[in-house]
Amino acid sequence: MAPKNKIPLSDNTRANEILEVIMAFARQDFEKKVSIKNDDSVFDGIGAGVNMLGEELQHSTISLREKEQLLKEIHHRVKNNMQIISSLLSLQSESTEDEKFMALLRESRNRINSMALVHEMLYQSDDLSKIELKEYIVTLCTSVYRSYALPDSEIEFIYSIEKKAHFDIDKMIPIGLILNEAISNSLKHAFPKKKGKISVDLRSIKEKYTLSVSDDGSGFKKDFDPEKDSHLGIQLIYMLTEQLGGKLEVNNKNGVNYTITF
Amino acid sequence: MQIPKDAIEVKGYFTWMGNDGIARTCVKSGIDITLEIAQENSKVVNELICEKKFPMLIDSRGIKSMSYEARHHFSVRGRDTKTCAFAILIGSTLSRVLGNFYLGINKPAVPTKLFDNEEEATQWLKQFLN
Repeated sequence: MAPKNKIPLSDNTRANEILEVIMAFARQDFEKKVSIKNDDSVFDGIGAGVNMLGEELQHSTISLREKEQLLKEIHHRVKNNMQIISSLLSLQSESTEDEKFMALLRESRNRINSMALVHEMLYQSDDLSKIELKEYIVTLCTSVYRSYALPDSEIEFIYSIEKKAHFDIDKMIPIGLILNEAISNSLKHAFPKKKGKISVDLRSIKEKYTLSVSDDGSGFKKDFDPEKDSHLGIQLIYMLTEQLGGKLEVNNKNGVNYTITF
Repeated sequence: MQIPKDAIEVKGYFTWMGNDGIARTCVKSGIDITLEIAQENSKVVNELICEKKFPMLIDSRGIKSMSYEARHHFSVRGRDTKTCAFAILIGSTLSRVLGNFYLGINKPAVPTKLFDNEEEATQWLKQFLN
């Protein structure tokens, strides 16, 4: 004799069908639908609700994918436009022999490239809102180093970047520009013997991040006060630190060290 | 819902203007409402002779399903309509689920309420008569 509360086989089949459709929706497969028998049963009600939720979910998913695609396209275009500006500056520098002017153009190009790299990495990443910091920093430092193309130099980069450190574009642009300025300064001034180390360190302490860029070079001149310096590079580091809502410390012991807490 | 002889019959509905100034539409039994069916009925509703906007009683008790596109069409967002309020009659399990879903997710642009009882629905709609 069958137990009194046993669920009829047909009910089990219908419950399983509903479950299968829900699981398909979870896999973003919206082809399946619960069959509606029009028998005024509770399964019809649940099935109709599941079908309609699936339709809403499908349209939201499509709309989200379209927006992501559009955002990728925008990042791609911004990066391409920045590369065009950078190339124009490069062409401009070929038409001059003025060393100072060429240096200015190179600095501007590096600044543009540091921002273009953020857009490039954003459209290449799966998560459009964040990019992986270590990859960005290593690529940026390599690019800046190459731009100075110091012949026979032995400059070593040492990275200590916290794994899983991710930032959105609003943070990445100032971080990239700060790194660009600090590393450019080191490459230009710190190593008269073309030999030395540049360290980039990023770690989180409690709810704050600390970004530190150091070199073991000759350091600032004794009477040099970075806060009163009028060079654009240093001024930019101060301005961008402010943009990050952070605090900057500059040390001049055994080389130069910039530490930004934000 | 008593369907009068002069009701306009389209693929999924019977539609007519009541003597009380309230338009009525009755979903045919076991029908799957697609966008095409929805648009066909909206056209009929908008052609009902009435100078001002009117409230509408919708008998959805025979409905089997309604597509995503049809639900969005019936939300009357971004389209011209002569209707100013909807009272939806529900009864079957399916009409109850569809009605609640439509109200909760599609959020029609005109005042809309679900009813189990035709008289109460008509009474509620009377406030929207000009």
